[in-house]
Amino acid sequence: MDSSELYHVKQQFILGAYKTLIGMSLPDAESSDFIPILLYQARAHIALNDPKSALKLLPADSENVAIKAVTALAHYVDTEETEDKESALEELRDLSVEIEGDDIEGTDRDKSIVRVLAGIAFARAGEVEEALETLGIGTEDLEAVAVIVQIYLAIHRSDLAKKEFERSKRWAEDDLLLQLIESTISLVTGKDSYSDPLSFYTEQLGNPSLSSPHILTSRGVTRILRGEMSEAKSDLEESLDQQKGDADALAAYVVASGLQVQEPWTKLLATIPLHPLVKDVAFKETLFDEAAAKFAVPVMAEIGA
Amino acid sequence: MSVMLTKFESKSNRVKGLAFHPTQPLLAAALHNGSVQLWNYRMGVLVDRFEEHEGPVRGVDFHLSRALLVTGGDDYKIKVWDIRPQNRRCLFTLIGHLDYVRTVQFHHEMPWIISTSDDQTIRIWNSTSRNCIAVLTGHSHYVMSAFFHPKDDLVVSASMDQTVRVWDISGLRKGSPNTGPGNFETFDTFSTVKYVLEGHDRGVNYAVFHPTLPLILSAADDRTIKIWRMSETKAWEVDSCRGHFNNVSSALFHLKYELIVSCGEDKTVRVWDLAKRTAIQTFRREHDRFWVLASHPNLNLFAAGHDSGLIVFKLERERPAFAVNGDTLYYVRDKYVRSYDFNTGSDIGLLSVRKFGSPYVPPRTLSFNPSEKAVITTISSDNGIFELTSLPQQSQAEVKDSSVDGKRGSGQSAIFVARNRFAVLNKASQIIEVRDLSNTVVKTVKPPVQTNEIFYGGTSSIILSSTASVVLFDLQQQKTIAEINSPPVKYVSWSADSSMVALMSKHTITIANRTFTQSSLIHETIRIKSGAWDDSGVFIYSTLNHVKYCLYQGDHGVICTLDNPVYLTRVKGKTVHCLDRSARPRTITFDPTEYRFKLALLKNNYEEMLYIIKTSTLIGQSIIGYLQQKGFPEIALHFVQDTNTRFELAIECGNLEVAMETARTIDRPECWERLAQQALKQGNHKIVEKAYQQTKNFDKLSFLYLATGSTDKLSKMQKIADARGDPMSRFHNALYAGDVAGRIAVLRDVGMHPLAYLTAKTNGLEELAEEILEAAGLTAEDVDDVPAFGPSTLKPPPIVSQTTDLVWPVVSTGENFFDRALASGSLEGIESSFTNGDAATGSSSALDAWAQEEAEADINPEEDGWELDADAEEEPSADINGDVEVPEDDDLGAGANPGVDETELWVRNSPLAADHVAAGSFETAMQLLNRQLGIVNFVQLKSLFLSIYRSSHTYLSPVASLPPLQLHIRRNPTETSPGRVLPVAVLSLKLVHTELSEGYRFVSGNKLAEAQTAFRSVLRSLLLIALTSDNEAKLWRETVTAAREYLLAVSIELERRRIAEEDPGNLRRNLELAAYFTQCQLQPPHLQIALRSAIGVFSKANNQAAAARFAKRLLELKPDPKIVAQARQRIAAGDRNPRNAVDISYDEFTPFEICAATYTPIYKGSPSVRCPYTDAAYVPQFKGKLDPLTQLTEIGAAASGLPAPW
Repeated sequence: MDSSELYHVKQQFILGAYKTLIGMSLPDAESSDFIPILLYQARAHIALNDPKSALKLLPADSENVAIKAVTALAHYVDTEETEDKESALEELRDLSVEIEGDDIEGTDRDKSIVRVLAGIAFARAGEVEEALETLGIGTEDLEAVAVIVQIYLAIHRSDLAKKEFERSKRWAEDDLLLQLIESTISLVTGKDSYSDPLSFYTEQLGNPSLSSPHILTSRGVTRILRGEMSEAKSDLEESLDQQKGDADALAAYVVASGLQVQEPWTKLLATIPLHPLVKDVAFKETLFDEAAAKFAVPVMAEIGA
Repeated sequence: MSVMLTKFESKSNRVKGLAFHPTQPLLAAALHNGSVQLWNYRMGVLVDRFEEHEGPVRGVDFHLSRALLVTGGDDYKIKVWDIRPQNRRCLFTLIGHLDYVRTVQFHHEMPWIISTSDDQTIRIWNSTSRNCIAVLTGHSHYVMSAFFHPKDDLVVSASMDQTVRVWDISGLRKGSPNTGPGNFETFDTFSTVKYVLEGHDRGVNYAVFHPTLPLILSAADDRTIKIWRMSETKAWEVDSCRGHFNNVSSALFHLKYELIVSCGEDKTVRVWDLAKRTAIQTFRREHDRFWVLASHPNLNLFAAGHDSGLIVFKLERERPAFAVNGDTLYYVRDKYVRSYDFNTGSDIGLLSVRKFGSPYVPPRTLSFNPSEKAVITTISSDNGIFELTSLPQQSQAEVKDSSVDGKRGSGQSAIFVARNRFAVLNKASQIIEVRDLSNTVVKTVKPPVQTNEIFYGGTSSIILSSTASVVLFDLQQQKTIAEINSPPVKYVSWSADSSMVALMSKHTITIANRTFTQSSLIHETIRIKSGAWDDSGVFIYSTLNHVKYCLYQGDHGVICTLDNPVYLTRVKGKTVHCLDRSARPRTITFDPTEYRFKLALLKNNYEEMLYIIKTSTLIGQSIIGYLQQKGFPEIALHFVQDTNTRFELAIECGNLEVAMETARTIDRPECWERLAQQALKQGNHKIVEKAYQQTKNFDKLSFLYLATGSTDKLSKMQKIADARGDPMSRFHNALYAGDVAGRIAVLRDVGMHPLAYLTAKTNGLEELAEEILEAAGLTAEDVDDVPAFGPSTLKPPPIVSQTTDLVWPVVSTGENFFDRALASGSLEGIESSFTNGDAATGSSSALDAWAQEEAEADINPEEDGWELDADAEEEPSADINGDVEVPEDDDLGAGANPGVDETELWVRNSPLAADHVAAGSFETAMQLLNRQLGIVNFVQLKSLFLSIYRSSHTYLSPVASLPPLQLHIRRNPTETSPGRVLPVAVLSLKLVHTELSEGYRFVSGNKLAEAQTAFRSVLRSLLLIALTSDNEAKLWRETVTAAREYLLAVSIELERRRIAEEDPGNLRRNLELAAYFTQCQLQPPHLQIALRSAIGVFSKANNQAAAARFAKRLLELKPDPKIVAQARQRIAAGDRNPRNAVDISYDEFTPFEICAATYTPIYKGSPSVRCPYTDAAYVPQFKGKLDPLTQLTEIGAAASGLPAPW
C-alpha cells in the first residue's frame, strides 16, 4: 500500500496532470517516498517534452537504477543525434540486464520502473520486439502492462492488448491505471460507442482532487471519435486554455475544427512540426504527388474557340 | 405470521453490524472483537475473515456491483476491502472521524461512502479520490446511523440527541468541489438539514427510508419504533409501535409486504403490521440481546445479530404450493390459485384463497382433482387447516373466492386419493381421515408409524412420511405395502407413467418403483428443493444451486447451475418448467444429451447411443471419464476432440488407425513408442514400421525387417547405416542381410582386422583374407597359431512366407457396433429396429419425440445458414481481422506481428473514393475516381485529399512519453465489426450545400470570378462525399448538375465580359454569350439577373425583338413590380421595332445544350461528347481533352459512375 502522498502523485502522473505534479514540492530526502516522487516528477518533465528540466532534477551521481534509467530516457528524448540516442538506448539495455542481477541498488519498484522506461525508449526507437521483451509479457506491473498495451495497439494488435488487459484484471481490479488501459483499448476498438473511455474520463474530470488538461484532451478525443464535434471542440479549447501548446490537444483540435478552418492546422505546423500528424500528412503529400503523376493529364480544351 | 424459518445460525462474538451481499449468498458480520466475518449462509461456511480493525467493528456494507466491502470501527477508521478470495485485502483506509464509527454505507450509484460517528458528524467520502467530500454537522450527540435514500439525494440519520434528521445532499452531486482535502468550510454548501424529526424521548439508534414510499422508520432507546412521513416541504410523525420492553436497536421495512421487522435489547425480534402498527409476531431468545438487523436487498431474507452470534431467517416459506396435471400446472401465487399451460404459456388466476388462514401466510400444499376440477389447499396457520374448493369451469371476469363454497377442516396435510375421496392427516392425534367431496368423514385410519406428512401413493394408497422411514400404505386394506428407511421425506414426485417415484428429503433422494420393492438412494450435501421426472424416466431435481439429473440406478450429475433456487414442476425434452421464488413460472433450457446417453448406455441401447453420437456434440471430460470408467473406451473415442486424449483412448481400445492419426498430430517420441508397442501387440507391423521410422529407431526397424523377411528394406537399412556412419548398425544390418562382404568391410573400417580376417577366412574368401592380412602388416606366418575354423554356416534364415505386405493380426482390432455404424454412415436401417430395442415403450416414444426435436433442431441451423448468406460478405473480412488471423502466436508476446491497420479495413470495406482518401490510400482513391468518374487531373484535389485524410485521424498519448496512438475516426461509432467499419464522412452533402449557397451569393453579388472558384470547389468536394443511400445519391446528382450549370453560366458570362472588354467590336459574340447565359438552368432570381443582363445588352445593340423575347421570359418569373415595369417597356419597344440589328446564332426554339468549351450551342440531335463526371456537353472534337469547366476530367472518357455499396 502506497502512502497517500505517493498514491496521489501516482494518480496525477497516470492521469497526465504533469504540470501539477511538477509544481508539487518534494518530500524530505530521507523519506521513503522521496525517490519515487522524484522519479514521477522527472518523468512528468519528460512527458512534457522538457527532458532538460528532468536532468536538472535528477542527481547525476545516483547509484539507483531507476534514477539512472530516467536519466537515460531523458537523454534519449533530449538529443537529436542518432549516436547519442543509441548510447542512451545502450545505457537502458545495460540497466535492464543489470536489474536481473541481485546486487544492485534499488527496490522492486525501481526495477519495474527501469523496465517500463526501457520499454518506452525502445518503443520510441521503433524496437517493438525488444520493448515487449524487456517489459515482459504477463508481467504483474501495471505500468508495464500499460506500455505493452499501447505498443500492441500501435501495431494494430488490439486482440493481444485485450488479452493482456484481461490477464491484468485478475490481479489489479481496483486500479485507476487499469481503467485507463481499458479506456485506451476501447478508444482503438470502439467498443460500445466508446462509452468506456467517455465515462472514465468524465468520472476523472469530476474528481475534485485532480485537475488535468490531459484528461480533458482525452475526453475531447473520445468525443471526436464519437462524432460529437462541438462538444469535443469545447473540451479541447478548455484543455488548450489550461495548457497551451499541448501536442495531443492541438492535433485533435485540428480535427475537431473541421475542413473549413485552417488556423489550427497552421498553428500545429508552427508549434509542433514533429507531431506524427504533421509528419504523416507530409508523407501523404509526397504519396499524393507520386500517385497523381501516374495519370496523364491531357491538354485542356480551348475555351471560346 | 406464524413462521420464522431460520436458515442459518452462527456462534461468535457479539455481532454489531450485518450486511447481505446483493447477488451472492454472502453475509458480512462485524464483530465486537474487531473481526469482520464473511459467511456463505447457503452453504453454512465461513468464507473469509477481515481482521485489521482494532477494537469493535460496528458498520459494514457491500458495494452493489463491485466486490467491495466497507467497514467502520471503534478505531475511528473506515476500511474498504476487496473481497474476492484470490486477492482479498484492505484496499484503502479513510481516516478523518474523531471517534467511534457507527455505520457505513455505499451509495447505490455514485462512488460515495457515508459514515457516522460518535464525533457527532456524518461524513461522505469519495471512494475514487479517497477524500472526504462532505461533513454533515448538526447533531449534538453521537450519530448512531445514517443512510442514503435509495433513489433521491437524501440522507436520514439518527442520533443520541433524540432526533432523526433528513439531509438534502443534491448539491453534492451537482458541484464537484474544487477544494483539496482539509477545507471544511465549503462543505456546508452541499448539504443542508431538510427536516429535524423530534419525538423520541431518548436517543435514537437507527433510522431508515422506506424503499419506495416517503416513509421513515426509527428505533430508539425510548422502546418505541416511530413511523414518519415526509412530503416535499415537511415531515411529521405518523405513529409509534410500542411493545419492546427495552432499547430498540434496529427496525426495517419488509421489501414486499407491509411489515416492519425490529429487534432490541429485550432479546426479541418483532414483526409489526405497517398499516395497523400492531405487533404480529415476536421471536424470543433466551439470553441474547439483539443489536442489529439487516434485510437482503432482493430476497425475502433477514439477518439479526445478537450477543453470541447471528441468525439468518425468512418470514415465510417461499416454496409455492403446486400440482401438475397433464400439461397444466396449478399453483398458488400471492394467495391466488392459478393455472399455467406448459404448451401455450397462458397463465390465469382461477381462485382467490385470500380469506383462507392468516393473510400473511401462503398455502403450503395444493392437491388437484382433474375429474372434479377441485383443489385442496392446506395452510400452516391456525394449527393447520385445509380447504376443498371447486375451480370454476371457465375463467371468469371476477375471480372466485374460495370462501364462497370452500369446505374446511383442520389438518396438516390433505390430498386427493381417489376421484371422490381425499385423505387428511391430523398430526397431533395421528389420525388419517378419508373424506368424500362433501367433506364427510367416511373412514378413519390410524397410521402404522408416527406420520408427519402424507403424499399420494397411487390409487387409494398413500405414502406416509415418518422420522426415519417412508411407508407405502393401502388405505382400503389399511395395511402397509412396503417400507423404506429414509430421513423424513418432504416432497414426492411421481413419473408420468406412475412407474417410478422420487422421495425427496432434505439431503437425500430415494428413487423407488411403484411398489417400493426396488430403490436407490442419492445423497446431496446441498439442500434438495424439488424434482420432476423426464419423459424418458430420468429424474431431474433442483438443489439450492444446481439442476441435476439422476438415473434410476443412482448415477447422477449436474445439468446446470442456478443463481437462485427454483421449484421444478415439469420436464419436457430440453426444457425444465419451474416456479421461481416469487412463484412465477419460468423455463430453463438445457442439454439432456449427457443423461440420455448414460441412460442408453445403462439400457445397452446402442441405437440410441449411436444416434446421440451422430447428432450431438457431446464432449467433455466427464462423459469420457464415465465411459472409460464403465469400460467403453471405444465409445469414448467418438466424443473426444483433444488429440492427446484421443490417442490414449485409441491405444486403450486398440484403434490403431485413430492412434496413428493422432500420433501424427502429436508427433512426440513417447507416442510413437507406445503406438509401436500396441501395434506390435496387435501384429500390425506396418504401423510398427511407421512408428519406428518416425522415432528413427533404426535397430528395431532392422530387426522388424528381418522378422518380416523384408530383404530389400534391409538393404536400404544398410545404406542408411552407411550414410549414418554407424559401424554397429552397419554390422548388424549386414548380418541380418547375410552380406558377408559388407560385414568384413565394416570390421576393416573400424580396424578390427583379426575379426575381419577370420570372417573372410571362415567364409572362404581367401583372397580378401590375404588382403586384410597385408593391410594389417602381417604375413600368413604371423597368424599360423590362430586355430583354423571350418567354413561358417551362419546365414539369415530362409524366408518361408514373406509377411512384408501382410498384416498378421494377433489381437482383434475389435471393430464394434459404433465403428460399423459410423463407417456405413447410414442410420436408417438401424432406426427401423428402434422399437425392438431394450428401451421401454414409454421411453422409446419419448425418444421418438426427442428425435423429432433433434430433427427440427437440425433444420434450424440451415435456415440460419440462409440468413448468413446475406452477410457472407462480412465473413471473409472478419477472417482478415487480426483477431483471427494469427492465433498461434497469441502468446508469443515479444514476437507479436503487427496486425491489420484500421485504415486497411476502411479500404477493404468501401468502394468509395472518399473512404479511400480518409484511409490515406490515395493511389486507390485516384484509381476509383478515374474509373468511376473519369477524373485525370488530380493536382486540383490535393488539398482536399490531404485535409480529408487529416480530419479522419486523431492522436492521443495515454502513457507518458510513448509516441501517441493514432486513432481512427469512424463514421458510425456504434459499429465495431472489422468487416463494417468505415471512416468518418468528413465532407457531407450538407457541408457542400453551404459552399454552394456561398457561390449563389457571389453570383447575386456579381462577384463572378469568386463564384467560379466556389462552384469549382463545390464540384471537387462533391467527388469526395461518402454516399450512403439512394436518396443521397439522387441529391448528390442534383447538386452536381446545379453546380455544373452555375459554373457554366458564370464562365459564359465571364467570357462575355472578357470579349466586351478586349474585343468590343465582336458584338455578335457578345450577344450570343448573353443569350446562352439565359439558357443555363439557374434558379429564378439568378435567371432574372441573366435575363436582365441580356435585355440590356440586346437592347443596346438594337436587337429589340430579341430583347423583347427576354423581357417576356423575365415576366414569367414574376419579378419585382419595378422590374416588371421595365420589362414591359422593353416588350413595348420590341413591339414597336420588331427587328434585330445584329444577326446571331441563337435559336431559342430548338432545344440545345451549350458546349462548355466553345460556348456554342449543340442543338438537339447534333453529335456531342460529355464530361464523365458532370455530364457537361462538348462538341466532338474535344474528346480526350481535359475538360475546361471543372479542370478535372478527360472529356468523353469511359466511366462506370458511382457505386452504391449500401
